[in-house]
Amino acid sequence: MKRKVVSVLLAGAMVASLTACGGSGSSASATTAATGSDAAATTAGDSAATTAGDSAATQTADVASEDEHTLSVYAWDKNFNIPALQAAEADYKKNVDPDFKLNIIEQSQSSDVETAITTAASAGDFSTLPDIVLFQDHYIQNFVANYPDAWKDLSAADIDWSDFGAEKLSYSTINDVHYGVPVDNGTVIFAYRTDLLEQAGYSIKDVTGITWDKWIEIGSDVYDKTGKYLLSMDGDGNDLPYMMLQAEGKSQFDENGDPVLTGEDVKAVVDVIVRAQQANALYLANDWSDYTDQTIVGDMVAGVMNGNWIIPTIEQVAENSGKWEITTMPTLKGGEGYASNGGSSLYVTANCKNVDLANDFLAKTFGAGSTETYDEALTKGGVITCSTKAGSSEVYNQGVEYFNNQPIYSTIVEYGTHVPVVKQSDYHYTAREQLAAAIQNILGGADIDSSLKDAQDQLMFAMGK
Amino acid sequence: MDTKKKGFGLLAKQRAAGWAFLTPATLLIFIMSFYPMVQAFIMSLKTGSSANMQWGNPITYNYARMFQDKLFQRSIGNTFLYLIIEVPIMLIFAVLLAQLLNEKHLRFKGIFRTCVFLPCATSLVSYALIFKSLFATQGLINTVLVQLGIFSENYNFLGTPASAKAVIIIALIWRWTGYNMVFYLAGLQNIEYSVYEAAKIDGATGWKTFWYVTVPLLKPVIVMTFIMSINGTLQLFDESVNLTKGGPANTTITMSHYIYNNSFDGVANFGYACAMSFVVFIMVAILAAINMKVGDTRD
Repeated sequence: MKRKVVSVLLAGAMVASLTACGGSGSSASATTAATGSDAAATTAGDSAATTAGDSAATQTADVASEDEHTLSVYAWDKNFNIPALQAAEADYKKNVDPDFKLNIIEQSQSSDVETAITTAASAGDFSTLPDIVLFQDHYIQNFVANYPDAWKDLSAADIDWSDFGAEKLSYSTINDVHYGVPVDNGTVIFAYRTDLLEQAGYSIKDVTGITWDKWIEIGSDVYDKTGKYLLSMDGDGNDLPYMMLQAEGKSQFDENGDPVLTGEDVKAVVDVIVRAQQANALYLANDWSDYTDQTIVGDMVAGVMNGNWIIPTIEQVAENSGKWEITTMPTLKGGEGYASNGGSSLYVTANCKNVDLANDFLAKTFGAGSTETYDEALTKGGVITCSTKAGSSEVYNQGVEYFNNQPIYSTIVEYGTHVPVVKQSDYHYTAREQLAAAIQNILGGADIDSSLKDAQDQLMFAMGK
Repeated sequence: MDTKKKGFGLLAKQRAAGWAFLTPATLLIFIMSFYPMVQAFIMSLKTGSSANMQWGNPITYNYARMFQDKLFQRSIGNTFLYLIIEVPIMLIFAVLLAQLLNEKHLRFKGIFRTCVFLPCATSLVSYALIFKSLFATQGLINTVLVQLGIFSENYNFLGTPASAKAVIIIALIWRWTGYNMVFYLAGLQNIEYSVYEAAKIDGATGWKTFWYVTVPLLKPVIVMTFIMSINGTLQLFDESVNLTKGGPANTTITMSHYIYNNSFDGVANFGYACAMSFVVFIMVAILAAINMKVGDTRD
């Protein structure tokens, strides 16, 4: 009996190691399947896409809508962009087509949408995609470059593009062709705790339009007097260099799309970040959840700088209501800085059977700066528009109690019009990761020039140059 | 003559039954495992965006590329570091625990065995996240160490390369020791008690009994756990992704994590990812072969 138990165990183990062997050989996605991780959704999507690619495409369920009054869309946040889409649905239903229905398919996180696109496009089978997808702006350059057949451009849609900030459109416009309709705004705000600034002897005016050098001085002072950092950021993704460069009108790439991580601008920005961290003005958290949960919600900071979608995170600390105010970013040479980080747009996929309806829906709701859509999106989901027209509504001009009755929404829309257009690249995220790694190395004691050179080399390598 | 014929018929029938039972599993392994492996190998020779892949120029482009990829080399280094430190510690712990829990006169054996095996029943992601919050800069371990006066201020365990690696190794030991112990326990049950009695009569001490009786008799199980651990460690993914995200500055990234990043993070490069997967596959095969040779008792 005991022998049998052992032999069964051994046989089981052999099978396990065999399949594990196969897993490592088959592909990256199989490896993740074997280890079973948060990539479960990814793997499921991947295998579906692979079967579809290898055999008849009819095997996979087609998620695009057949009905001529219905559109399907992928979105991921039921407290943020899903209410915005529902607002647009109600708007279109009321004013254009009473039979209209928007089938919103919820994904658990934004990267699920991006992975779904990568897998569908890699298999060359778009039938797993809905009519419209919502995803983060930085991905579209990469997606259009690598999967040009996956998208329907919006040249047929009747949209007044001049209503949107040029910077926002610079992501989704490729070779003068529009691919996306802007939904939320990624304009960067710098929010400060005015009560803490006051304790250290400063006001919000003293931190507006200053140089980063001056800002480090103030930050160091605030830390000494209040024990709070003037800014925090996630160390491994690090949004800071990108935003700081954009405020200077620069990017991690030059005009030809070649990386310039060893250039003077990047070096100056990295130098500021390193000095700010050493002066206790800046706290670099290990990762994103530490950044939001420990530093912001955990009340470790006197200032927050990021895309305005960070506002709901700030507002989670209820007892600080009325103590915050927003302003623009510092810059290297002084003067108010404007940048944008994040934000998403809606894109029509190649699988859309009813392109006319999709175009009309987008053109009459998000694309038209419809007050009905955007006001509701703001009040229900906190989605701030990129449309100047929608941004001037009454709802947008109301003061916000949490921010000392500052009319922050119209202010943010106004900031958005000043954001300089910088060079975009499909290697945006790779560049950002390499730069973050370089900063971590420099903070660990490595030399700034050689670390940036390493990052540049690594990025060039990833780009195959 | 007649009977002989009958015998053949029976044998043939039995063979047919054997094949019938084997076929479903064999087919599944072929479709789910071997076919993707062949496809992956073909893909590993191609380059370009995943929607429009071209044959590499030269055909070994992706394989040659690895020799220049510092990050991949670092991920190999990291993975082998985990392997060399973690596997022996874990297996020694597992053998000792198994030996302890196999003690005839120990009470509440069931409870202890369950306790040691329990980490294995937790999901990889959730245990990694729990370790992450334990070792966070403001986490429990830091609070305890600072309160006890061992550290003067909070230490950034996961933000410092050396300690981040140590945390991953500790987490791995916690998670997998119980799993291996179960195999040893099963192996120990298989050793006749009379062998120990004979050793006792010959005057062997506890340590000698363990080293000269238990270990040789457990050898097949030890070899198997070694192979499985090596295999598992080379494919380490969850801990790297969830505990440290490969950071700080990619100092804790594992091979599988890097392969995943190449396929799903930023610009997808499936050809290169497949090529790297194949290299990992070959490494696993070589290490397993060495292990089998070393563990082979036949002369």
